[in-house]
Amino acid sequence: MLEALSEGLKNAIRKIIGKSSIDEKVVEEFLREIKVILLQSDVDVYIANNFIDIIRRKVLKEKTPEGLTLKEHLIKVVYDELVSILGKEASDIKGKKIMLVGLFGSGKTTTAGKLAYYLKKKGKVVLVCLDYHRPAAPEQLKQVAEKINVKFFIGKDAFEVAKDSLEKFKDYDYIIYDTAGRNALDEEMARELKKLGEIIKPDEVLLVLPADIGKVAKKQAEEFNKLVGITGIIITKMDSSAKGGAAIAACSTTGAKVKFIGVGEKFDAFEKYDPKRFVSRMLGLGDLETLLEKAKEVVKPEKVEKIVEGEFTLEDFIEQIESIRNMGPLSNIISMIPGLSLPKDLLKQQEEKMKKWKYMMQSMTPQERKNPEIINESRIRRIAKGSGTKEEEVRELLDQYFKMKKLMKSMGGIKGLKRGQLEQLMRQLGLRL
Amino acid sequence: MFNFLKKKLKEITEKIVGKQKEIEEEKEKILKKPESFTEEKVEEKIPEIKEIREVKEGKTLFSKIKEKIVKKVLEKKLKREDLEPLLSDLEVELIEADVAFEVAEKIKNDLIKELEGKEIKRGKEKEIVVDAIRKSLNEILNLSQINLENEIKNKKPYIIVFFGFNGSGKTTTIAKVANFLSKRGFSCVLAAGDTFRAASIEQLEEHAKRIGIPIIKQKYGADPAAVIFDARKYAEAKKIDVVLADTAGRSYTNENLMEELKKIVRVNNPDLKVLVIDSLTGNDAVNQARFFNEVGIDAVIFTKLDVNEKGGAILSVSYLLKKPILFVCDGQKYEDIKYFDKEEFLNNLLNF
Repeated sequence: MLEALSEGLKNAIRKIIGKSSIDEKVVEEFLREIKVILLQSDVDVYIANNFIDIIRRKVLKEKTPEGLTLKEHLIKVVYDELVSILGKEASDIKGKKIMLVGLFGSGKTTTAGKLAYYLKKKGKVVLVCLDYHRPAAPEQLKQVAEKINVKFFIGKDAFEVAKDSLEKFKDYDYIIYDTAGRNALDEEMARELKKLGEIIKPDEVLLVLPADIGKVAKKQAEEFNKLVGITGIIITKMDSSAKGGAAIAACSTTGAKVKFIGVGEKFDAFEKYDPKRFVSRMLGLGDLETLLEKAKEVVKPEKVEKIVEGEFTLEDFIEQIESIRNMGPLSNIISMIPGLSLPKDLLKQQEEKMKKWKYMMQSMTPQERKNPEIINESRIRRIAKGSGTKEEEVRELLDQYFKMKKLMKSMGGIKGLKRGQLEQLMRQLGLRL
Repeated sequence: MFNFLKKKLKEITEKIVGKQKEIEEEKEKILKKPESFTEEKVEEKIPEIKEIREVKEGKTLFSKIKEKIVKKVLEKKLKREDLEPLLSDLEVELIEADVAFEVAEKIKNDLIKELEGKEIKRGKEKEIVVDAIRKSLNEILNLSQINLENEIKNKKPYIIVFFGFNGSGKTTTIAKVANFLSKRGFSCVLAAGDTFRAASIEQLEEHAKRIGIPIIKQKYGADPAAVIFDARKYAEAKKIDVVLADTAGRSYTNENLMEELKKIVRVNNPDLKVLVIDSLTGNDAVNQARFFNEVGIDAVIFTKLDVNEKGGAILSVSYLLKKPILFVCDGQKYEDIKYFDKEEFLNNLLNF
């Protein structure tokens, strides 16, 4: 999700993190890079320029708040600014009549299914087909509705169906209207949509926008907004390398915020938009807040003390890795760590390795787990055999354990697993596992 | 179509031409007034004199300096520092027209290379700038060619597989191509190779019915490679000229789906693998081209050009793939498809 954008921003920020202090020249360099990244991510030129100006003004002219270094301030300003464009808080569906609009092929019908699937848990839902232009569009909605077991309503004429639906589904909690894909600048199609809007008087009009759309998004969002008044944005196809920067233009022009994100072809591949998490990941700052919270939960205090005292057994080592794994798939965790990102293949390998390590552990005696120092060549052979792994893999585990133990010792202090050093730990894990 | 890009190119050309004229006028003004031609004034007006002046001081050299200026003025060379800001603007404009960043960069560098230090004759300024832009774009669009109708005549059945990202417009495009070829006397059969998306088969069936051509299909969830294989067998048996195979839209970052696509190609060994790209795509068009090319692309079709006045994706994808553009599509009707004509595209873009 937003990988490419996030890669670029990560690099820019990594440069900043790497520097101990910031002068104006560094700020300018940072801003230039941010601008290039934004443009590369399909953010509108005008918006990108504005964004840069605001950041410059805040960072250079405002006083750095007490307790923050200039570099922390700079990152925070970029973060805050992006959040303010995309939406400050996640907002749910409000009201009953929901209309989906958008260009051809943006993913409206699939999204209608996903939205129905999501709302099904909250009340009675019906899917209404208003697309009688594209061949088999009603059939598609029907198949989608049947798959997720939701009521559907299909007729022959969009206006008739719209009128009928109001009376027919009075008692329903949610009526989702799937409209035909259209160019909002096409007069005839624009007129149709406007009229449908007048008949339905929707509570929510959601603009469905594919993540890979270019600069045309701004103009189209503007036109759709004029026609029916956009109340929210759904970004689809985020399970690609597309950067979704057009969302920023759509939000800016319509004033609407992003509500949901489509991340795959299945009906549950649909996420409620969480701007804070979204933006912090986009920046490559990682979800530091969440990470620390989670870390607090999974790392028990007595454990930390034990580790700090230098009593770090192989069991502790695996437990540490497990606790990190509990926070979600490794790749998610890695992406939460500031300044750290790894090639996909490597991550996959690590997940595999983790699994194998657990098997090895299970093939060890309690003694061996407590005192890995006693594991000699013949024990290694037995462990490898018992766990169905190779001897060199067992050796690798031991090697990593000893390295980690050394690292733990060198970190010292109870703060060892907090903030900065957790990163260091992850870096060790991430890069060497 | 492409009015946006056209407008931007026009603006930039005017700016460069304007700059050139400005330089010229400045210099002429100075030349016309030899009596007020003191070193100080010259220095104010033409920075390059400063350099010369710094080399040697003194009134005896005055005539020599003047000579040098005259020479420079007569040459009327465009300098890099005159060009840089103008072309940086162009770069931003191109990006705004959805030309991918790396491609915009290339065009900018091409123009600097072409225009820097170039001698420009009076009245020819615009021509020279437009030619430079044309040269750069021409290079980007210097694609291999494909004569579809000839190819089809030479091999029967001719198998075309269409693939692309979700929502790029594959199914509609296949219908248009089938209609286009039918109208030119080729017999066609459609293969419903998208066995995943809801109602994709019904959608293609409806098109087949409207155009009046057969369709080979199986159930949803069937192996697309097998569906296409069936269509080929059908075409061989019935002596049909062309098999047009649909495939499910897919995210090119999904390894499994890309493997499926490779299998389709392996099993059916198509004569033409066509990537369908939504012309509304922004910078990611380059990624789509890159990823899908791992399967091997023979030609590209751009869709939805009626919505897009920018057309940057055509330049981006062509720059990256160097593969022929088979068709461009610009509307909802079957007839809204045509061969891509590079000269027409360039002439339209540079006709200002």
